[in-house]
Amino acid sequence: MSPAPENGPAETAGWKQRLWAYLSDRVGLDAMLALGVKKRVPIHRTTVFYFLGGMALFLFIVQIVSGVLLSLYYKPSPDQAFESVQAIMSEVKFGWLIRSVHSWGANLVIGVLFLHLLTTYMMRAYRRPREFTWVTGLLLLALFMALGFSGYLLPWNQLSYAATNVGTKLVGVVPVVGEYLLKIARGGENVTGDTLSRFYALHVAIFPLLALALMGAHLYLVQKQGMSVPPRVAESHGGEDKVPSMSFVPDFLLRDAVGWYLALGILAALAALFPWELGEKADPFASTEIGTKPEWYFLFMFQLLKQLPGTIMDLEWLEGEMVGVLFFGAVGSIVLLVPFLDRGDRSRRALNFFAGVSVIFFIVMTAWGWFDELPLQIILGTSLLLAVLALADRFLQRGTPSRRALGVAAALTVLVLIAAIIRELTR
Amino acid sequence: MRTLPGILLAITLFAVPPALVAAEGEPPPEEEESKCITCHTDTELWEGEQLHLLVTEKQMAELAEDVHWKKGLRCHDCHGGDPTSFRTGDAHAEEAGFRMMEAPGDVPDFCGHCHADIAIMKRYNPSPRTDQVVEYWTSGHGQAMKKNPEDADVAQCVSCHGHHGIRAVDDLKSPVFPTHLAETCAKCHSDESRMKGREYNGKELSHDQYELWRKSVHARMLLEKGDLSAPTCNDCHGNHGAVPPDVDSVANACGTCHVKVGELFAGTKMRHRFEEVKLPGCATCHNHHDIQHPTDEMLGMEADGVCGRCHQEGDPKYGATLTGAEAARKMRRGLDDLDAMIEEAKRNLKKAEELGMGVQKPRFELKKASDALTNARSLVHGFALKPMEEVLDEGLQVATVQNETALERIGEYHFRRVWLALSLVPILLVVGLLLLYIRRRPIPGR
Repeated sequence: MSPAPENGPAETAGWKQRLWAYLSDRVGLDAMLALGVKKRVPIHRTTVFYFLGGMALFLFIVQIVSGVLLSLYYKPSPDQAFESVQAIMSEVKFGWLIRSVHSWGANLVIGVLFLHLLTTYMMRAYRRPREFTWVTGLLLLALFMALGFSGYLLPWNQLSYAATNVGTKLVGVVPVVGEYLLKIARGGENVTGDTLSRFYALHVAIFPLLALALMGAHLYLVQKQGMSVPPRVAESHGGEDKVPSMSFVPDFLLRDAVGWYLALGILAALAALFPWELGEKADPFASTEIGTKPEWYFLFMFQLLKQLPGTIMDLEWLEGEMVGVLFFGAVGSIVLLVPFLDRGDRSRRALNFFAGVSVIFFIVMTAWGWFDELPLQIILGTSLLLAVLALADRFLQRGTPSRRALGVAAALTVLVLIAAIIRELTR
Repeated sequence: MRTLPGILLAITLFAVPPALVAAEGEPPPEEEESKCITCHTDTELWEGEQLHLLVTEKQMAELAEDVHWKKGLRCHDCHGGDPTSFRTGDAHAEEAGFRMMEAPGDVPDFCGHCHADIAIMKRYNPSPRTDQVVEYWTSGHGQAMKKNPEDADVAQCVSCHGHHGIRAVDDLKSPVFPTHLAETCAKCHSDESRMKGREYNGKELSHDQYELWRKSVHARMLLEKGDLSAPTCNDCHGNHGAVPPDVDSVANACGTCHVKVGELFAGTKMRHRFEEVKLPGCATCHNHHDIQHPTDEMLGMEADGVCGRCHQEGDPKYGATLTGAEAARKMRRGLDDLDAMIEEAKRNLKKAEELGMGVQKPRFELKKASDALTNARSLVHGFALKPMEEVLDEGLQVATVQNETALERIGEYHFRRVWLALSLVPILLVVGLLLLYIRRRPIPGR
């Protein structure tokens, strides 16, 4: 890390020491370093999940930098948007790289945030006094999903046009204010150039500013409350104070840097293996292609809404889509209020049951929406489930009934996965 | 004399009862100006042989839509006579200008009374046509009518335009509006009994023209795509002066729309040869009425090739040469090669575009190759290999270059993937070094 200032006459010190002293006098580097060294990060079985927040922050910075670079060439109008993205990818030096990184970064940051949410829940890090840390974090996740949705339209290709059409249509089914909200979202009755400029403004100015403000609050609260220790870990050590810890600077920061580099590596690998294509230019008069899907993080909603009938129980006023949207609204509200609903063992068990069902619902719907064929859906679904079970494994103590149940569930999942793979290979 | 009752009706029809006219939203004619309607709508007055002089409610409704009526013309403006008199003799007196039509052959001059008079027609149109009657007498219809003015099966003005309820030619509901015209002609020309025994220039008239035309590219363009510039009967045969085009004028008829091809064909030896052997220019290869969209398969000596019909090896017709057959083969090969290259370039450009590579410029350039292909297809009608080959070579060169550009773009895309994959090496190296450094530091928390 940075060299500590040495005592002695300034004339005899090296240039590093002199620079350090110069900056410390003016911006308080000494105080910052002292704070970093003083800040402790607990060490236990699930410490590794503390890195997820840092990874998300790193990816957000990548998004800001790549987004700013893209905005230098992007033109937000229906006549020029597609062509400008095409020019970015073919004519602007390294434009293709910036666009691919930005597109994959958007997906990766949301994936990391989902994991961050899940592990935070499993560590029960939302407990008093960290309720607002949870709330700001969840709002950040919603904001990043909104950033993803608004950014998806910007290349103005056929897929993004259709997805925005369907996505914004859902806003219209909200009771009472739906129609009004739809017009606000689209800037009119239909998805047009007005929608594009609206989404551009949201994507590059309004949402990022909100994200920065929320992130500031989130980081301040993390700093203020310190890192949460899972209750079981604290119990086993006889109190939170007794849990071994490392200093934030440099020990945790060094490990965090590994997480950042890994995120960068995953980003590069994804961009290389699955380069982000551009598709065909949006044509408002073209019919929507069969199989048009939203981004993976909206698939669970899309798939359920697709299955709902036009009206529930033949009641004209009870539209299927409206019920679906209200359902997701209710689920989102419960997740937001988790810290306030966890009021004891019974409520915690209910919340755990709710969380389990939600995760399984998310996995099933995503796998169902992703592939059209059942064996592939099962392969994806069981793979995701295994990943979540592996994640949960670190939070459960050995020998407990929960851990045994998890083992059985994992074994069954592996069997189903193997059967599905064999079925797919022998077709 | 099928239409004679109609003609006689036309003579007396303009006597429209005021009440009925009012029912159609038109102001009733002044009593003293037109008494025609009063009598001719009175159902009690007309019976037996004179029943055709009764104006029915349906006919009244049609009359209200008549272009003449809308312009303010009334019964006596066409039929003459005295509309103010209730006395039959006075109302229909020759001295009062009453004009009698005794036979269908009288109709053209009856209408021509106004339509051939430029002074009258100028009241309604500053640059009117007044040659319809003259044209009519030169038409196949007019010539047949001259021979037998009482032949009610021969078309004259009312056969196509209607008796009363005549609509302007640009009225969508007019029977001579482009989208209805063929159907109007078909009323007679698809009627086998009417066409039986009729001939023009010694050639018997068929009755399948409409059926054939409906299958043509022209009919599809006109009726399915609503392209009013697509030809219907009158565009090739003429309207008032309708005749089948002669052998030597077929190419000129087609050339009015297909200008470039028409000019090319007009300058060839082939045209003169066609005329010598009495083959109708364009129709020999493209047919008469069921003209289909031309395809490259029509060119050459293969099964669908029309060239092979005359340039047959071993049995050439009309003096067709084998050199011509070889030229046709080369032309076809040239077209196929260029077409295939353009399609390949388009496919690769689309692929490159979907991968996010810029293809506007090469795609724009490729249009030159497509233009060359279109040009070469036209040049087929010049029956000269060299100019066509020059155009084909030029197009092929453009298409090949653009295809290579597309492949380069696709290649560049894959190169980027490899480059990105390689970037993983330094990233993982840094991760490894970091982990090594962490391992070498004292274990925290202990």
